[in-house]
Amino acid sequence: MVFIRFLVILLIVQTVVFVCLSIYSRLARREKLETEFEARRAMDPALTPAAKDSFIRDGLAEYDGSMRRKLILLVYVVPIAAIGTIIYTVNHM
Amino acid sequence: MVFYLRWIFWGSVAVILASFLYYTLPQTDVVRVVETEVRRVDLGGENTLFWSQPDSGQAVNDTRDVFFIQTVQRNGKPMVYRNEDTGWSWPPYFKFDTANLQTEASSLRSPDPNNAQWAAIGHYGVRIPYLSIYPNAISIRPVSGPDVTIVPWIAIICWFFVISFIWYVTARWIRFKRSRISPALDRLDAKYDDTTGRISRWLGTWRSKPRG
Repeated sequence: MVFIRFLVILLIVQTVVFVCLSIYSRLARREKLETEFEARRAMDPALTPAAKDSFIRDGLAEYDGSMRRKLILLVYVVPIAAIGTIIYTVNHM
Repeated sequence: MVFYLRWIFWGSVAVILASFLYYTLPQTDVVRVVETEVRRVDLGGENTLFWSQPDSGQAVNDTRDVFFIQTVQRNGKPMVYRNEDTGWSWPPYFKFDTANLQTEASSLRSPDPNNAQWAAIGHYGVRIPYLSIYPNAISIRPVSGPDVTIVPWIAIICWFFVISFIWYVTARWIRFKRSRISPALDRLDAKYDDTTGRISRWLGTWRSKPRG
């Protein structure tokens, strides 16, 4: 029972961190895309707001399929791996 | 005054944090085990916080038996460790092998100082006799002699991460303060000066005028 309580608390904390990090990372990417587009517009004033929308949409679609986004899953993997390592070293070595 | 209060406040925070880390992080002592025993302890007193869990899977009672490892340090002074499961709770050592550890400690018993078997005992916690607080043993292994050097890598790494984290947060806070809070305060200050100036001018209209 204590184990289940521990696991539930761990998963809740990890999920909160995961969600926050996901939102932050996507927003940061959007901001980056916006500044990149503004830099392009400075060189080519013919670019329209519609072009900006599609540029950002394409950029975010690329981000959604990227390795970088999947790396956020390490929020779940790393602590559990660390706990496993500690359990093994403390109890079996 | 504010200067001293600020130093006292942050000094206390630093002392509390440092003692928390000192208590929680692993340390290793080189000792000679002279006896191992089981003693009943009554929980619920002033030192409850400094006892750990009953063996994993067992009921939590106000009284229970606890393993102890009695040792003599290199300087000849005694040191007594408790040996309890930490289980799934704090601090996160995930220790379940208490009974095994007690067996290992018993097999390393060396009551005769002239024919000593030294052992490195990993533990967390401190010994405070005034409150009957004992460090909790985590591991034990035989070592060749009393003069082996043991580098506390895990504690060093944890201290490094904690200090880096504090550094990071402080740097961020200072930058935030400089770019956001200070300008806002300056604006407020200017506005205040402006307003008080007006009030004092208004008060001035009531003061007696120099007669010409």
